[in-house]
Amino acid sequence: MADSGSPDSEPTTRTLLRRVLDTADPSTPRRPRSARAGAQRALLETPSSRRLSSQTKTTARRRSQRIRSIGKLAHVQASGYLEEQTPRTLLKNILLTAPESSIVMPKSVVKPGPAPQVVQPSSRESSRGSLELQLPELEPPTTLAPGLLAPGRRKQRLRLSVFQEGMDKGLPLSQESRGNADASSLTSSLNLTFATPLQPQSVQRPGLARRPPTRRAVDVGAFLQDLRDTSLALAPPDTVLEDTQPFSQPLVGRSPSVHHSLPCPSHSGAEDAERAVSHRTRSTGPRLQNNSPGKPAQLLAGKAEERTEKSLSMSKVKEAARARGSARAQEPEGHTQVTEAEGSQGAIETKEPEGSSGDCPTSSRRVSPELASSTPEFLQAKRIQGLEPAPPPSTAVLPSEPLEPLSARLPPRARTPGPKACQNPYKTGLSHYAKLFSFYAKMPMEKKALEMVEKCLDKYFQHLCDDLEMFAAHAGRKTVRPEDLELLMRRQGLVTDQVSLHVLVERHLPLEYRQLLIPCAFSGNSVFPAQ
Amino acid sequence: MVLSTTVSQRKHIKRKAPRGFLKRVFKRQKPHLRLETSGDLLMHLNCLLFVHRLAEESRTNACENKCGIIKKEHVLAAAKVILKKSRGS
Repeated sequence: MADSGSPDSEPTTRTLLRRVLDTADPSTPRRPRSARAGAQRALLETPSSRRLSSQTKTTARRRSQRIRSIGKLAHVQASGYLEEQTPRTLLKNILLTAPESSIVMPKSVVKPGPAPQVVQPSSRESSRGSLELQLPELEPPTTLAPGLLAPGRRKQRLRLSVFQEGMDKGLPLSQESRGNADASSLTSSLNLTFATPLQPQSVQRPGLARRPPTRRAVDVGAFLQDLRDTSLALAPPDTVLEDTQPFSQPLVGRSPSVHHSLPCPSHSGAEDAERAVSHRTRSTGPRLQNNSPGKPAQLLAGKAEERTEKSLSMSKVKEAARARGSARAQEPEGHTQVTEAEGSQGAIETKEPEGSSGDCPTSSRRVSPELASSTPEFLQAKRIQGLEPAPPPSTAVLPSEPLEPLSARLPPRARTPGPKACQNPYKTGLSHYAKLFSFYAKMPMEKKALEMVEKCLDKYFQHLCDDLEMFAAHAGRKTVRPEDLELLMRRQGLVTDQVSLHVLVERHLPLEYRQLLIPCAFSGNSVFPAQ
Repeated sequence: MVLSTTVSQRKHIKRKAPRGFLKRVFKRQKPHLRLETSGDLLMHLNCLLFVHRLAEESRTNACENKCGIIKKEHVLAAAKVILKKSRGS
């Protein structure tokens, strides 16, 4: 490990940890130490003693000693790694793996405090604590550390409990907030949850913590207005489609409220914006990926779920926070985000009634960047189907393009794709042969004649199956084989001594089927199909 | 060297045989029986030949009546004859 040139006056995380390790009482009465552990401690003792002697020289020496000790430690660790997962060894691992330079700012003095205590209870916690040191945005350690440092270093166990308490305090808040957010019903208490979602994500999965994505300011009123517009346009059946959550609130009670709260006919604006957004995301993916994760999913969910009356700003902020949190916790494109975001949709939807109807074009424009999201394109597609076709002129051409074909697609959607294909596959097959009849006849035909042909074909198929069954039973088989077919054709007078089956196959079937039916010799003394 | 049972070279076959339809028809009629792989191709051939004969007969009937269009009656008469011929028993 290379030595960084940091002076002793500015202690780095690494140096502080080192100090703690060396100065702390090596013998832990709880766990019986093996010989190797004792050797480890002996190694540590020597550098610690040297350190205590002269602080000015320690920086250089410490590092060199650290290297040596770590080298030796590696030996020990390699041999007894699995055996002893002591806090000491864990901390050593942390020192080994963590970068030397202090990422942490002045708060670094505070943070190493809780770190040693974290190591003690469990390996998981220790890793978490150590990683916390690296993350600048971590707040709980900073807030808890002063309280922890006060009692003094000797009372390590006490501090641990205090630390745990602090951690628990931090976690339930976020859990509560998430629980509330998941529930579609939003209360004003959600105000508190805006800040906390940041913490739990990083605490539980520090490796996944990311910078909060920069988001544009959203005109909440217009946005909600648009949402309301879209939700109004959406019929209840659409909500059923969009409601992909397993724990979605019952829509029955919600739908009437939805209809009540959505009188404005300008909802199409929001829908268009959504559509535009979805299409835009498809075409220009990376541009607004940060914003994307939560918003459109949220919008979709909101429509599907209950709308409760909330302050516009509240829902917006909550949505943003939620989206951020969800983005951090999961993949940006994960569908799971939709479920979380959908919970917040309800709040957004409720805001819609309060928005002004005149804002539609501008709001949709503003909304569209927000809505541009990677996610649930499939959900958006479903929504788009239900959207009204009234693209505001202000919106980009791109959104308007997909809107129109979609709207055009809407009316035929109600009908089945093919009248006969779906309803009666048997009829489709018969009509296939009826067409061949008209081709073979080389004369114009009536429609009724074609229907007559289909009836004949039906009778013919019945006869055919009966005959085949008879032949197979005569041969003592339960499987109908090509020999039975040939016998049938012979009896029908199609295959004669002059005209063999192969001749007929060659005459009437395409090449591919001929190859399958007529055995042919290939190189290597092989015949296909095998006899 | 040896050709596969599936058509892989060019998937576009003119006058494709509705193999699924034929198999389903056979299964519906005789669920206790099984049909082999090449059997449905021969079944399709049989159908083609039946339709061919039917069309020829209908055309003959229409021409005998000096009609330029094949009518229902022509087809009906032709069907009686051809179905009797195709009985196979």
